[in-house]
Amino acid sequence: MTVTVTWYLVLAAALFSMGAAGVLIRRNALIMFMSIELMLNSVNLTFVAVSKHLGLIEGQVAALFVMVIAAAEVTVGLAIIVAIFRFRSSANVDELSELRG
Amino acid sequence: MLTLDYHALLPELIVAGTVLVTLVVDIVTRRKHLVAIIGVLGLFAAAVPILTLSFCGSLDFCSSTEASRVMFGGAYVIDGYALVLKGVFIFAGFVALLLSIGYLESDRYYEGEYYFLLVASVLGGMAMASSRDFVSMIVALELVSGPAFMLAGWRKGDARSNEASLKFFITGVIALALTLFGVSLLYGLTGTQQFDQIAVLSETVADVPLFTLAVIFIVLGFGFKVSAVPFHFWTPDTYQGAPPPVTAWLSVGSKGAGFVALLTVCYLALPAATDVWGPLIWIVAALSMTVGNVVALKQTNVMRLLGYSSIAQAGFMLAPFGAVAASGAGDLARPFQATITYFVIYAVMNLGAFGTAIIIGQRVGSYELEDWGGLSKYATGVALSLAVFFMSLAGVPPLAGWFAKFAMFRATIGVGNWWGYSIAIVAAVNAVIAFVYYAKVMKSAFFDDVPEGIDVDVAMSDAIPAPIGLAVGLAVVGVFLFGVLPGLAANVGNFSTDLLGTLGL
Amino acid sequence: MLNQYYGDYITVAVFVAIGAILVGGAVAANRAIAPRAPGGFKDVAYESGIEPIGGGWNQSHIRYYIFALLFLIFDVEAVFIFPWALQLEFFSSIGSGLTVLVEMFVFVGILLLGLVYAIRKGVLTWE
Repeated sequence: MTVTVTWYLVLAAALFSMGAAGVLIRRNALIMFMSIELMLNSVNLTFVAVSKHLGLIEGQVAALFVMVIAAAEVTVGLAIIVAIFRFRSSANVDELSELRG
Repeated sequence: MLTLDYHALLPELIVAGTVLVTLVVDIVTRRKHLVAIIGVLGLFAAAVPILTLSFCGSLDFCSSTEASRVMFGGAYVIDGYALVLKGVFIFAGFVALLLSIGYLESDRYYEGEYYFLLVASVLGGMAMASSRDFVSMIVALELVSGPAFMLAGWRKGDARSNEASLKFFITGVIALALTLFGVSLLYGLTGTQQFDQIAVLSETVADVPLFTLAVIFIVLGFGFKVSAVPFHFWTPDTYQGAPPPVTAWLSVGSKGAGFVALLTVCYLALPAATDVWGPLIWIVAALSMTVGNVVALKQTNVMRLLGYSSIAQAGFMLAPFGAVAASGAGDLARPFQATITYFVIYAVMNLGAFGTAIIIGQRVGSYELEDWGGLSKYATGVALSLAVFFMSLAGVPPLAGWFAKFAMFRATIGVGNWWGYSIAIVAAVNAVIAFVYYAKVMKSAFFDDVPEGIDVDVAMSDAIPAPIGLAVGLAVVGVFLFGVLPGLAANVGNFSTDLLGTLGL
Repeated sequence: MLNQYYGDYITVAVFVAIGAILVGGAVAANRAIAPRAPGGFKDVAYESGIEPIGGGWNQSHIRYYIFALLFLIFDVEAVFIFPWALQLEFFSSIGSGLTVLVEMFVFVGILLLGLVYAIRKGVLTWE
């Protein structure tokens, strides 16, 4: 049995779904960040698998860019969480409810 | 031998240089207002090459005879469309900077980094306008959003500002992940990231279910960015919690970048999938108008009200595009032009509305509508300015907003079938609803009594800070100019699409 | 053909078996020979020979987080240098070597500006 590109795509889709479910279900901001990372990494997996399958290089370059964007996003996100943590000593997003209407 | 068209890249290079210089100046000096001045000058300087590029044909030193300049193998294009949007982003950044100068001085904030991030965000918007492939587009989009996430939480001591920032961040990143997943699937199907090649290659895969899935993911991701219903939940919270000058930038710059991304991708890359994204955008536009306007009716905080108003305006902007694409009837260039015209006018009037709201908010000390009662009795000029912008947002002639609405209705009705007529009816009903809540603010400012606890002498004690005054003044001129000379705005819209036409796209 | 196929697996299996025997033998020999003295200092967290402060689950100072972020940015940005290095020779062969070299210096210069900023803001000083 050979492992074709479809397998990678299925795995990536599964990872993406897990990440999306994690973001929607979990309420701890840090775990939500991890789930978002999972989604972005499933994108990377798709890019690299497809790129290998098609014999093109652009997909791998795109994966590098996604990695950099993900790193920058996490840097910003953790900084925001630290700012919130100073007030609340909690990373539970359900406790953030000052703004409603 | 690599050659670069430095003239075409000059606006971005100037703004990128400004970003670096603001950081250096912030490091070496304690006089933070220098940073703001450099930011303003940098954006001003970047507007010059945009003008020379726009009128390249009639200038001696400008040798290029081509209508557009294609760079990096087609990934980055400087054409009329890109130039118009770059101009809008620079204007929006300019106004947001001016609004920030007066605002940041009123309290203890980190100043140097603020201007650095704001100019970086403007740079992202400019790169966005020229991006013609997915990698550069996503990077540009994140260059707009990344700094904006931080700016939204700039009032570190205020829990509401932090909350605004986190909500904005989480929705923004989910949107990014959705879009990227769609892009990766699209890449798998077509083997390219470049819009014009995708447009050609996707015709062979238009029947593959995976293609439909990819298109839906991409459009959904951009839907978050433009805060269209049902992806709008973060918008009012973020608009209320973020510092007001940042909100002004978010409502035009960050949202505008989302619009540009959505329009460019749908128009240039996915013409083979109009049957997928057309109805999707049609539904989103109708929902955005209705939900945005109806919920805005019961808002008591002006920033929240403007937040819902901007959701509704996004619906108006998307309406012609959705109608034409959904009906599959003919040329997308015309609704494209109407949408760009609407966006240009929206940028000017919305920035003015936020500028006026900031002036009032700083004097009254609150953004609650009930505290704004009787404004005209002690601050006539400011109240009149408020009237100008809110009536323009409502679409009252002879202010610019009416022409935006007119262009939108003309394009939707012009479709000539029920997709167009029905959304035109929805839009007309919504224009009436919108008038009600804009008029509610007017009534409060002009006819109500001054509420208890508002000390008129204190509210009138300071002069309006010169930068904010200048910003609002610019917007007033713009609103009247576009309203009295509608041809001007239409020409801007034409300019952006004429050149797209010459590309044969 | 099929023999060849299974032959490959047999090689792997032999390899795994030898590995297991080696590791197992070493551990068994250690058990047999080494003296045993449980308890005492052996249960505390390992901190490179220094006396540990607090338990294994105590929170780190926020300062480590800023170092981690700085490291992350520079670490990830380095991925762009490798593709550049691979292509530099090609660009120099078409006569653009200097331009491309300068571009990388601009890129690294922008990153260094970020580092200078962090230093100036006192992020890297340890009070």
